Amino acid sequence: MGRYWEIASTWIIILTAGIAAWSLAAATLPVPAYFLPPPAAVLSGFVELTTKGMLPTYIGESLRRILLAAVIGLFVGVPIGLTLGISRRIADFAYPVLNFFQSVSGIAWLPLMLVWFGFGERTILIAVNYTVFFPVIFNALLGVRSVPQIYVNALRTLGASRWRIVRDVLVPGALPNIAMGVRLGLAYGWRALIAAEILVGANGLGFMIFNAQAFHLTARIMLGMAIIGALWVILDYFLLRPLEEATIARWGMVQR
Amino acid sequence: MRGWRGRALAVGRGAAPFGLIVIAWALVTRASVVPPIFLPPPGDVARTAWEMLKDGSLLINIGASLGRVLVSLVVSVPLAVAFGIFVGLRRRLSPVVEPIAGFFNALSGIAWLPLAVTWFGLGWASVTFIMFNTVFFLVFYNTLVGVRTVPRIFDHAVRTLGGSRRHVIFQVLIPGAMPSIVTGIRMSIGFGWRALIAAEMIATSTGLGFLIFNASNFHQTDAILVGIITIGLLWLLTDRLVLQPLERRTIERWGLVSS
Repeated sequence: MGRYWEIASTWIIILTAGIAAWSLAAATLPVPAYFLPPPAAVLSGFVELTTKGMLPTYIGESLRRILLAAVIGLFVGVPIGLTLGISRRIADFAYPVLNFFQSVSGIAWLPLMLVWFGFGERTILIAVNYTVFFPVIFNALLGVRSVPQIYVNALRTLGASRWRIVRDVLVPGALPNIAMGVRLGLAYGWRALIAAEILVGANGLGFMIFNAQAFHLTARIMLGMAIIGALWVILDYFLLRPLEEATIARWGMVQR
Repeated sequence: MRGWRGRALAVGRGAAPFGLIVIAWALVTRASVVPPIFLPPPGDVARTAWEMLKDGSLLINIGASLGRVLVSLVVSVPLAVAFGIFVGLRRRLSPVVEPIAGFFNALSGIAWLPLAVTWFGLGWASVTFIMFNTVFFLVFYNTLVGVRTVPRIFDHAVRTLGGSRRHVIFQVLIPGAMPSIVTGIRMSIGFGWRALIAAEMIATSTGLGFLIFNASNFHQTDAILVGIITIGLLWLLTDRLVLQPLERRTIERWGLVSS
Protein backbone atom coordinates (compact mmCIF):
# COMPACT_ATOMS: atom_id res chain seq x y z
CA MET A 1 0.00 0.00 0.00
CA GLY A 2 2.68 2.48 1.05
CA ARG A 3 4.84 1.57 -1.90
CA TYR A 4 2.06 2.14 -4.43
CA TRP A 5 1.28 5.49 -2.88
CA GLU A 6 4.96 6.40 -3.12
CA ILE A 7 5.14 5.51 -6.82
CA ALA A 8 1.87 7.26 -7.60
CA SER A 9 2.92 10.43 -5.81
CA THR A 10 6.25 10.43 -7.63
CA TRP A 11 4.35 10.07 -10.90
CA ILE A 12 2.14 13.03 -10.06
CA ILE A 13 5.10 15.18 -9.02
CA ILE A 14 7.11 14.39 -12.17
CA LEU A 15 4.20 14.91 -14.55
CA THR A 16 3.10 18.18 -12.95
CA ALA A 17 6.65 19.46 -12.84
CA GLY A 18 7.22 18.48 -16.46
CA ILE A 19 4.06 20.13 -17.72
CA ALA A 20 4.65 23.23 -15.59
CA ALA A 21 8.24 23.57 -16.84
CA TRP A 22 7.09 23.10 -20.42
CA SER A 23 4.32 25.72 -20.07
CA LEU A 24 6.72 28.12 -18.41
CA ALA A 25 9.35 27.63 -21.10
CA ALA A 26 6.77 28.11 -23.84
CA ALA A 27 5.54 31.31 -22.22
CA THR A 28 8.89 32.90 -21.41
CA LEU A 29 11.51 31.69 -23.89
CA PRO A 30 12.31 34.33 -26.51
CA VAL A 31 11.54 32.09 -29.47
CA PRO A 32 8.78 32.23 -32.10
CA ALA A 33 5.52 30.65 -30.96
CA TYR A 34 5.81 27.76 -33.42
CA PHE A 35 9.11 26.70 -31.85
CA LEU A 36 7.63 25.50 -28.62
CA PRO A 37 3.86 25.50 -28.35
CA PRO A 38 2.50 25.11 -24.79
CA PRO A 39 0.96 21.81 -23.64
CA ALA A 40 -2.48 23.40 -23.85
CA ALA A 41 -2.03 23.90 -27.60
CA VAL A 42 -1.18 20.22 -28.05
CA LEU A 43 -4.31 19.28 -26.12
CA SER A 44 -6.56 21.59 -28.11
CA GLY A 45 -4.98 20.24 -31.28
CA PHE A 46 -5.98 16.77 -30.12
CA VAL A 47 -9.57 17.85 -29.54
CA GLU A 48 -9.73 19.70 -32.85
CA LEU A 49 -8.29 16.91 -34.99
CA THR A 50 -10.43 14.30 -33.28
CA THR A 51 -13.67 16.18 -33.81
CA LYS A 52 -12.73 16.82 -37.44
CA GLY A 53 -12.10 13.10 -37.80
CA MET A 54 -8.58 13.45 -39.23
CA LEU A 55 -6.84 11.93 -36.26
CA PRO A 56 -8.91 8.73 -36.11
CA THR A 57 -8.39 8.27 -39.85
CA TYR A 58 -4.61 8.68 -39.65
CA ILE A 59 -4.33 6.42 -36.62
CA GLY A 60 -6.50 3.84 -38.34
CA GLU A 61 -4.36 3.93 -41.48
CA SER A 62 -1.08 3.47 -39.61
CA LEU A 63 -2.51 0.70 -37.44
CA ARG A 64 -3.98 -1.07 -40.43
CA ARG A 65 -0.61 -1.04 -42.17
CA ILE A 66 1.37 -2.33 -39.21
CA LEU A 67 -1.17 -5.07 -38.46
CA LEU A 68 -1.16 -6.13 -42.09
CA ALA A 69 2.63 -6.31 -41.97
CA ALA A 70 2.41 -8.37 -38.78
CA VAL A 71 0.00 -10.86 -40.33
CA ILE A 72 1.98 -11.22 -43.54
CA GLY A 73 5.21 -11.44 -41.56
CA LEU A 74 3.75 -14.27 -39.48
CA PHE A 75 2.33 -16.26 -42.35
CA VAL A 76 5.27 -15.90 -44.71
CA GLY A 77 8.26 -15.24 -42.45
CA VAL A 78 7.66 -17.97 -39.90
CA PRO A 79 7.39 -20.85 -42.40
CA ILE A 80 10.55 -19.64 -44.16
CA GLY A 81 12.42 -19.38 -40.86
CA LEU A 82 11.23 -22.82 -39.74
CA THR A 83 12.25 -24.38 -43.06
CA LEU A 84 15.70 -22.84 -42.75
CA GLY A 85 15.96 -24.07 -39.17
CA ILE A 86 14.96 -27.60 -40.07
CA SER A 87 17.06 -28.05 -43.19
CA ARG A 88 20.71 -27.38 -42.61
CA ARG A 89 21.48 -27.60 -46.33
CA ILE A 90 19.04 -24.87 -47.35
CA ALA A 91 20.13 -22.73 -44.42
CA ASP A 92 23.83 -22.91 -45.32
CA PHE A 93 22.99 -21.72 -48.77
CA ALA A 94 20.45 -19.02 -47.95
CA TYR A 95 21.88 -17.65 -44.72
CA PRO A 96 24.55 -15.28 -46.14
CA VAL A 97 22.09 -13.90 -48.68
CA LEU A 98 19.40 -13.31 -46.07
CA ASN A 99 21.95 -11.75 -43.79
CA PHE A 100 22.98 -9.31 -46.50
CA PHE A 101 19.40 -8.37 -47.33
CA GLN A 102 18.66 -7.95 -43.66
CA SER A 103 21.54 -5.48 -43.41
CA VAL A 104 19.92 -3.21 -45.96
CA SER A 105 17.01 -1.72 -44.06
CA GLY A 106 13.64 -1.46 -45.74
CA ILE A 107 13.96 2.30 -45.81
CA ALA A 108 17.16 2.08 -47.83
CA TRP A 109 15.20 0.20 -50.49
CA LEU A 110 12.59 2.92 -50.55
CA PRO A 111 14.20 5.04 -53.31
CA LEU A 112 14.38 1.98 -55.55
CA MET A 113 10.84 0.96 -54.62
CA LEU A 114 9.65 4.44 -55.53
CA VAL A 115 11.06 3.88 -59.01
CA TRP A 116 9.55 0.40 -59.17
CA PHE A 117 6.15 0.85 -57.55
CA GLY A 118 5.59 4.61 -57.56
CA PHE A 119 4.46 6.90 -54.74
CA GLY A 120 1.71 5.06 -52.97
CA GLU A 121 0.31 2.45 -50.71
CA ARG A 122 2.13 -0.43 -52.40
CA THR A 123 5.58 1.05 -51.75
CA ILE A 124 4.81 1.67 -48.07
CA LEU A 125 3.48 -1.84 -47.51
CA ILE A 126 6.41 -3.52 -49.27
CA ALA A 127 9.00 -1.46 -47.39
CA VAL A 128 7.39 -2.20 -44.02
CA ASN A 129 6.93 -5.88 -44.77
CA TYR A 130 10.52 -6.14 -45.85
CA THR A 131 11.58 -4.71 -42.49
CA VAL A 132 9.34 -7.06 -40.49
CA PHE A 133 10.39 -10.20 -42.37
CA PHE A 134 14.00 -10.60 -41.44
CA PRO A 135 13.86 -10.52 -37.63
CA VAL A 136 10.95 -12.98 -37.87
CA ILE A 137 12.86 -15.33 -40.18
CA PHE A 138 16.10 -15.20 -38.21
CA ASN A 139 14.46 -15.76 -34.86
CA ALA A 140 12.36 -18.65 -36.10
CA LEU A 141 15.55 -20.21 -37.43
CA LEU A 142 17.33 -19.59 -34.15
CA GLY A 143 14.38 -21.04 -32.26
CA VAL A 144 14.49 -24.32 -34.13
CA ARG A 145 18.22 -24.56 -33.66
CA SER A 146 17.97 -23.91 -29.92
CA VAL A 147 15.83 -26.99 -29.35
CA PRO A 148 18.12 -29.53 -27.64
CA GLN A 149 19.04 -32.38 -29.96
CA ILE A 150 18.22 -34.86 -27.19
CA TYR A 151 14.46 -34.27 -27.59
CA VAL A 152 14.71 -34.94 -31.30
CA ASN A 153 16.69 -38.11 -30.61
CA ALA A 154 14.23 -39.20 -27.95
CA LEU A 155 11.29 -38.99 -30.31
CA ARG A 156 13.22 -40.61 -33.08
CA THR A 157 14.18 -43.63 -30.98
CA LEU A 158 10.51 -43.98 -30.12
CA GLY A 159 9.86 -44.30 -33.83
CA ALA A 160 8.43 -40.86 -34.60
CA SER A 161 8.33 -39.73 -38.19
CA ARG A 162 10.15 -36.65 -39.37
CA TRP A 163 6.88 -34.75 -39.63
CA ARG A 164 5.99 -35.73 -36.07
CA ILE A 165 9.31 -34.33 -34.83
CA VAL A 166 8.77 -31.08 -36.64
CA ARG A 167 5.22 -30.72 -35.34
CA ASP A 168 5.69 -31.85 -31.76
CA VAL A 169 9.26 -30.81 -30.96
CA LEU A 170 10.76 -28.24 -33.29
CA VAL A 171 7.84 -25.89 -33.83
CA PRO A 172 6.70 -25.68 -30.18
CA GLY A 173 10.32 -25.34 -29.10
CA ALA A 174 10.78 -22.44 -31.48
CA LEU A 175 7.65 -20.56 -30.36
CA PRO A 176 9.31 -18.33 -27.73
CA ASN A 177 11.87 -17.21 -30.29
CA ILE A 178 9.16 -16.68 -32.89
CA ALA A 179 7.26 -14.43 -30.49
CA MET A 180 10.48 -12.53 -29.83
CA GLY A 181 11.13 -12.21 -33.56
CA VAL A 182 7.67 -10.83 -34.20
CA ARG A 183 8.11 -8.31 -31.41
CA LEU A 184 11.49 -7.16 -32.71
CA GLY A 185 10.29 -7.16 -36.30
CA LEU A 186 7.33 -4.97 -35.45
CA ALA A 187 9.55 -2.62 -33.45
CA TYR A 188 11.63 -2.07 -36.57
CA GLY A 189 8.53 -2.13 -38.75
CA TRP A 190 6.73 0.58 -36.78
CA ARG A 191 9.66 2.94 -37.25
CA ALA A 192 9.99 2.00 -40.91
CA LEU A 193 6.29 2.68 -41.35
CA ILE A 194 6.60 6.19 -39.91
CA ALA A 195 9.63 6.85 -42.13
CA ALA A 196 7.85 5.48 -45.20
CA GLU A 197 4.78 7.58 -44.50
CA ILE A 198 7.01 10.64 -44.18
CA LEU A 199 8.85 9.94 -47.43
CA VAL A 200 5.98 8.65 -49.53
CA GLY A 201 3.38 10.92 -47.97
CA ALA A 202 0.20 8.94 -48.35
CA ASN A 203 -1.65 9.66 -45.09
CA GLY A 204 -0.98 7.96 -41.75
CA LEU A 205 0.71 9.39 -38.66
CA GLY A 206 4.12 9.83 -40.32
CA PHE A 207 2.51 11.90 -43.05
CA MET A 208 0.60 13.89 -40.45
CA ILE A 209 3.69 15.02 -38.52
CA PHE A 210 5.76 15.72 -41.62
CA ASN A 211 3.00 17.65 -43.30
CA ALA A 212 2.46 19.67 -40.12
CA GLN A 213 6.13 20.65 -40.23
CA ALA A 214 5.67 22.30 -43.62
CA PHE A 215 2.97 24.55 -42.13
CA HIS A 216 4.81 25.16 -38.85
CA LEU A 217 2.01 23.46 -36.94
CA THR A 218 4.38 22.35 -34.19
CA ALA A 219 1.61 21.46 -31.74
CA ARG A 220 0.33 19.00 -34.28
CA ILE A 221 3.83 17.49 -34.66
CA MET A 222 4.08 16.99 -30.91
CA LEU A 223 0.61 15.50 -30.78
CA GLY A 224 1.53 13.07 -33.54
CA MET A 225 4.76 12.10 -31.78
CA ALA A 226 2.92 11.48 -28.52
CA ILE A 227 0.44 9.24 -30.32
CA ILE A 228 3.18 7.36 -32.19
CA GLY A 229 4.98 6.67 -28.92
CA ALA A 230 1.82 5.82 -27.00
CA LEU A 231 0.50 3.45 -29.66
CA TRP A 232 3.74 1.52 -29.68
CA VAL A 233 3.87 1.34 -25.88
CA ILE A 234 0.27 0.05 -25.81
CA LEU A 235 0.94 -2.46 -28.58
CA ASP A 236 4.10 -3.65 -26.89
CA TYR A 237 2.84 -3.75 -23.30
CA PHE A 238 -0.57 -5.25 -23.89
CA LEU A 239 -0.05 -7.46 -26.92
CA LEU A 240 3.52 -8.32 -27.86
CA ARG A 241 5.18 -8.62 -24.46
CA PRO A 242 2.42 -10.74 -22.88
CA LEU A 243 2.53 -12.94 -25.96
CA GLU A 244 6.26 -13.41 -25.61
CA GLU A 245 6.02 -14.09 -21.90
CA ALA A 246 3.19 -16.55 -22.41
CA THR A 247 5.15 -18.54 -24.97
CA ILE A 248 8.21 -18.53 -22.74
CA ALA A 249 6.13 -19.70 -19.77
CA ARG A 250 4.48 -22.44 -21.81
CA TRP A 251 7.24 -23.64 -24.11
CA GLY A 252 10.39 -21.84 -23.04
CA MET A 253 13.25 -23.04 -20.88
CA VAL A 254 13.23 -26.34 -22.68
CA GLN A 255 16.69 -26.97 -21.36
CA ARG A 256 16.09 -27.81 -17.74
CA MET B 1 47.51 -25.60 -44.34
CA ARG B 2 44.24 -27.29 -43.67
CA GLY B 3 42.92 -24.24 -41.83
CA TRP B 4 43.76 -22.08 -44.82
CA ARG B 5 41.97 -24.41 -47.21
CA GLY B 6 39.02 -24.73 -44.89
CA ARG B 7 38.72 -21.00 -44.71
CA ALA B 8 38.94 -20.59 -48.49
CA LEU B 9 36.24 -23.22 -48.84
CA ALA B 10 34.02 -21.43 -46.33
CA VAL B 11 34.45 -18.13 -48.15
CA GLY B 12 33.68 -19.83 -51.46
CA ARG B 13 30.56 -21.41 -50.02
CA GLY B 14 29.43 -18.07 -48.62
CA ALA B 15 30.05 -16.29 -51.92
CA ALA B 16 28.36 -18.90 -54.11
CA PRO B 17 24.75 -17.77 -53.50
CA PHE B 18 25.74 -14.18 -54.27
CA GLY B 19 27.35 -15.38 -57.49
CA LEU B 20 24.09 -17.08 -58.43
CA ILE B 21 22.10 -13.93 -57.69
CA VAL B 22 24.40 -11.81 -59.88
CA ILE B 23 24.13 -14.36 -62.70
CA ALA B 24 20.34 -14.40 -62.43
CA TRP B 25 20.30 -10.60 -62.32
CA ALA B 26 22.49 -10.44 -65.45
CA LEU B 27 20.25 -12.91 -67.26
CA VAL B 28 17.09 -11.01 -66.38
CA THR B 29 18.50 -7.74 -67.66
CA ARG B 30 20.01 -9.40 -70.74
CA ALA B 31 16.66 -10.91 -71.65
CA SER B 32 15.15 -7.39 -71.46
CA VAL B 33 12.39 -8.59 -69.18
CA VAL B 34 12.51 -5.24 -67.41
CA PRO B 35 13.65 -1.90 -68.80
CA PRO B 36 17.17 -0.84 -67.65
CA ILE B 37 15.73 2.15 -65.82
CA PHE B 38 14.00 -0.34 -63.51
CA LEU B 39 16.92 -2.69 -63.17
CA PRO B 40 20.25 -1.87 -64.82
CA PRO B 41 22.59 -4.81 -65.59
CA PRO B 42 25.24 -5.64 -62.95
CA GLY B 43 27.99 -4.38 -65.28
CA ASP B 44 26.49 -0.90 -65.32
CA VAL B 45 26.21 -0.85 -61.55
CA ALA B 46 29.84 -1.92 -61.20
CA ARG B 47 30.92 0.80 -63.63
CA THR B 48 28.92 3.44 -61.75
CA ALA B 49 30.43 2.23 -58.48
CA TRP B 50 33.92 2.55 -59.94
CA GLU B 51 33.20 6.07 -61.21
CA MET B 52 31.75 7.11 -57.86
CA LEU B 53 34.83 5.72 -56.15
CA LYS B 54 37.14 7.59 -58.52
CA ASP B 55 35.50 10.98 -58.20
CA GLY B 56 35.33 10.50 -54.44
CA SER B 57 31.59 11.02 -54.10
CA LEU B 58 31.02 7.55 -52.65
CA LEU B 59 33.75 7.90 -50.04
CA ILE B 60 32.59 11.38 -49.00
CA ASN B 61 29.05 10.14 -48.43
CA ILE B 62 30.24 7.03 -46.59
CA GLY B 63 32.41 9.25 -44.41
CA ALA B 64 29.52 11.60 -43.69
CA SER B 65 27.21 8.78 -42.60
CA LEU B 66 29.77 6.91 -40.53
CA GLY B 67 30.97 10.15 -38.96
CA ARG B 68 27.45 10.95 -37.78
CA VAL B 69 27.03 7.51 -36.24
CA LEU B 70 30.39 7.79 -34.50
CA VAL B 71 29.85 11.30 -33.14
CA SER B 72 26.42 10.48 -31.76
CA LEU B 73 27.74 7.31 -30.14
CA VAL B 74 30.70 9.07 -28.55
CA VAL B 75 28.49 11.84 -27.16
CA SER B 76 25.36 9.90 -26.18
CA VAL B 77 26.57 6.59 -24.83
CA PRO B 78 28.58 7.88 -21.83
CA LEU B 79 25.86 10.39 -21.03
CA ALA B 80 23.13 7.76 -21.26
CA VAL B 81 25.04 5.25 -19.12
CA ALA B 82 25.75 7.89 -16.47
CA PHE B 83 22.10 8.99 -16.36
CA GLY B 84 20.91 5.41 -16.35
CA ILE B 85 23.02 4.56 -13.32
CA PHE B 86 22.08 7.80 -11.57
CA VAL B 87 18.36 7.12 -11.96
CA GLY B 88 18.74 3.38 -11.42
CA LEU B 89 20.23 4.04 -7.99
CA ARG B 90 17.20 6.02 -6.90
CA ARG B 91 14.65 3.46 -5.87
CA ARG B 92 11.81 5.92 -5.70
CA LEU B 93 12.52 7.54 -9.06
CA SER B 94 13.41 4.55 -11.19
CA PRO B 95 10.02 2.77 -11.35
CA VAL B 96 8.52 6.04 -12.57
CA VAL B 97 11.23 6.95 -15.05
CA GLU B 98 11.39 3.50 -16.60
CA PRO B 99 8.06 3.68 -18.49
CA ILE B 100 8.80 7.28 -19.50
CA ALA B 101 12.12 6.16 -20.97
CA GLY B 102 10.27 3.29 -22.64
CA PHE B 103 7.91 5.80 -24.21
CA PHE B 104 10.76 7.90 -25.61
CA ASN B 105 12.34 4.69 -26.79
CA ALA B 106 9.28 3.97 -28.86
CA LEU B 107 9.62 7.44 -30.35
CA SER B 108 13.28 7.05 -31.12
CA GLY B 109 14.45 7.61 -34.61
CA ILE B 110 12.64 9.12 -37.47
CA ALA B 111 9.59 10.38 -35.55
CA TRP B 112 11.78 13.22 -34.27
CA LEU B 113 12.49 14.43 -37.79
CA PRO B 114 9.71 17.02 -38.19
CA LEU B 115 10.43 18.55 -34.80
CA ALA B 116 14.17 18.50 -35.47
CA VAL B 117 13.65 20.33 -38.76
CA THR B 118 11.46 22.90 -37.00
CA TRP B 119 14.09 23.54 -34.36
CA PHE B 120 17.34 23.21 -36.28
CA GLY B 121 16.39 23.63 -39.93
CA LEU B 122 17.64 21.36 -42.66
CA GLY B 123 21.21 20.31 -42.11
CA TRP B 124 23.61 18.30 -40.04
CA ALA B 125 22.24 19.59 -36.71
CA SER B 126 18.85 17.99 -37.35
CA VAL B 127 20.33 14.66 -38.33
CA THR B 128 22.67 14.66 -35.34
CA PHE B 129 19.78 15.52 -33.03
CA ILE B 130 17.76 12.57 -34.32
CA MET B 131 20.70 10.21 -33.93
CA PHE B 132 21.47 11.58 -30.48
CA ASN B 133 17.91 10.92 -29.33
CA THR B 134 17.83 7.42 -30.75
CA VAL B 135 21.08 6.38 -29.12
CA PHE B 136 20.50 8.18 -25.84
CA PHE B 137 17.09 6.78 -24.98
CA LEU B 138 17.88 3.21 -25.99
CA VAL B 139 21.11 3.10 -23.98
CA PHE B 140 19.56 5.00 -21.07
CA TYR B 141 16.61 2.63 -20.89
CA ASN B 142 18.74 -0.48 -21.07
CA THR B 143 21.20 0.81 -18.48
CA LEU B 144 18.33 1.62 -16.16
CA VAL B 145 16.80 -1.82 -16.61
CA GLY B 146 20.23 -3.42 -16.23
CA VAL B 147 20.96 -1.64 -12.96
CA ARG B 148 17.52 -2.46 -11.61
CA THR B 149 17.88 -6.16 -12.34
CA VAL B 150 21.23 -6.61 -10.58
CA PRO B 151 20.27 -8.75 -7.56
CA ARG B 152 20.25 -6.67 -4.37
CA ILE B 153 22.16 -9.41 -2.60
CA PHE B 154 25.41 -8.52 -4.38
CA ASP B 155 24.90 -4.93 -3.38
CA HIS B 156 24.37 -5.98 0.25
CA ALA B 157 27.34 -8.33 0.17
CA VAL B 158 29.72 -5.57 -0.87
CA ARG B 159 28.20 -3.21 1.71
CA THR B 160 28.56 -5.71 4.55
CA LEU B 161 32.15 -6.27 3.61
CA GLY B 162 32.68 -2.55 4.13
CA GLY B 163 32.47 -1.41 0.51
CA SER B 164 31.60 2.22 -0.15
CA ARG B 165 28.93 3.51 -2.50
CA ARG B 166 31.61 3.90 -5.13
CA HIS B 167 32.58 0.26 -4.78
CA VAL B 168 28.97 -0.73 -5.27
CA ILE B 169 28.65 1.37 -8.41
CA PHE B 170 31.88 0.38 -10.07
CA GLN B 171 32.21 -3.22 -8.94
CA VAL B 172 28.61 -4.36 -8.76
CA LEU B 173 26.20 -2.21 -10.71
CA ILE B 174 28.21 -1.33 -13.81
CA PRO B 175 29.55 -4.85 -14.39
CA GLY B 176 26.17 -6.35 -13.57
CA ALA B 177 24.38 -4.03 -15.96
CA MET B 178 27.02 -4.47 -18.65
CA PRO B 179 25.24 -7.12 -20.77
CA SER B 180 22.11 -4.98 -20.78
CA ILE B 181 24.12 -1.83 -21.62
CA VAL B 182 25.80 -3.60 -24.52
CA THR B 183 22.42 -4.82 -25.76
CA GLY B 184 21.29 -1.19 -25.64
CA ILE B 185 24.31 -0.02 -27.61
CA ARG B 186 23.82 -2.78 -30.15
CA MET B 187 20.17 -1.92 -30.61
CA SER B 188 20.91 1.78 -30.77
CA ILE B 189 23.37 1.22 -33.60
CA GLY B 190 20.78 -0.88 -35.43
CA PHE B 191 17.91 1.56 -34.97
CA GLY B 192 20.21 4.57 -35.32
CA TRP B 193 21.70 3.44 -38.61
CA ARG B 194 18.22 2.96 -40.10
CA ALA B 195 17.00 6.28 -38.74
CA LEU B 196 20.10 7.97 -40.11
CA ILE B 197 19.53 6.69 -43.64
CA ALA B 198 15.92 7.90 -43.50
CA ALA B 199 16.85 11.28 -42.00
CA GLU B 200 19.58 11.85 -44.56
CA MET B 201 17.03 11.42 -47.32
CA ILE B 202 15.18 14.49 -46.14
CA ALA B 203 17.31 16.69 -43.96
CA THR B 204 20.78 16.94 -45.53
CA SER B 205 22.72 16.96 -48.74
CA THR B 206 25.41 14.46 -47.77
CA GLY B 207 25.46 10.86 -46.62
CA LEU B 208 24.35 7.57 -48.10
CA GLY B 209 20.66 8.22 -47.48
CA PHE B 210 20.89 11.45 -49.45
CA LEU B 211 22.85 9.69 -52.17
CA ILE B 212 20.17 7.09 -52.86
CA PHE B 213 17.21 9.41 -52.46
CA ASN B 214 18.76 12.00 -54.75
CA ALA B 215 19.57 9.33 -57.32
CA SER B 216 15.95 8.23 -57.11
CA ASN B 217 14.79 11.73 -58.06
CA PHE B 218 16.81 11.47 -61.25
CA HIS B 219 15.84 7.83 -61.86
CA GLN B 220 19.52 6.83 -61.64
CA THR B 221 18.79 3.27 -60.66
CA ASP B 222 22.42 2.20 -60.97
CA ALA B 223 23.53 4.78 -58.40
CA ILE B 224 20.69 3.73 -56.06
CA LEU B 225 21.88 0.12 -56.25
CA VAL B 226 25.48 1.17 -55.54
CA GLY B 227 24.21 2.98 -52.44
CA ILE B 228 22.05 0.07 -51.28
CA ILE B 229 24.88 -2.43 -51.67
CA THR B 230 27.24 -0.09 -49.82
CA ILE B 231 24.76 0.28 -46.95
CA GLY B 232 24.42 -3.49 -46.70
CA LEU B 233 28.16 -4.11 -46.77
CA LEU B 234 28.86 -1.42 -44.18
CA TRP B 235 26.32 -2.94 -41.81
CA LEU B 236 27.73 -6.46 -42.30
CA LEU B 237 31.22 -5.16 -41.53
CA THR B 238 30.04 -3.28 -38.45
CA ASP B 239 28.20 -6.33 -37.21
CA ARG B 240 31.10 -8.69 -37.78
CA LEU B 241 33.94 -6.44 -36.61
CA VAL B 242 32.35 -4.40 -33.81
CA LEU B 243 29.03 -5.69 -32.51
CA GLN B 244 29.58 -9.44 -32.40
CA PRO B 245 32.99 -9.27 -30.66
CA LEU B 246 31.64 -6.68 -28.21
CA GLU B 247 28.67 -8.82 -27.30
CA ARG B 248 30.64 -12.03 -27.08
CA ARG B 249 33.16 -10.44 -24.78
CA THR B 250 30.64 -8.88 -22.40
CA ILE B 251 28.58 -12.04 -22.15
CA GLU B 252 31.67 -14.12 -21.50
CA ARG B 253 32.98 -11.70 -18.95
CA TRP B 254 29.89 -10.44 -17.14
CA GLY B 255 26.96 -12.45 -18.36
CA LEU B 256 24.78 -14.73 -16.24
CA VAL B 257 25.23 -12.53 -13.20
CA SER B 258 21.78 -13.31 -11.96
CA SER B 259 22.24 -17.06 -11.80
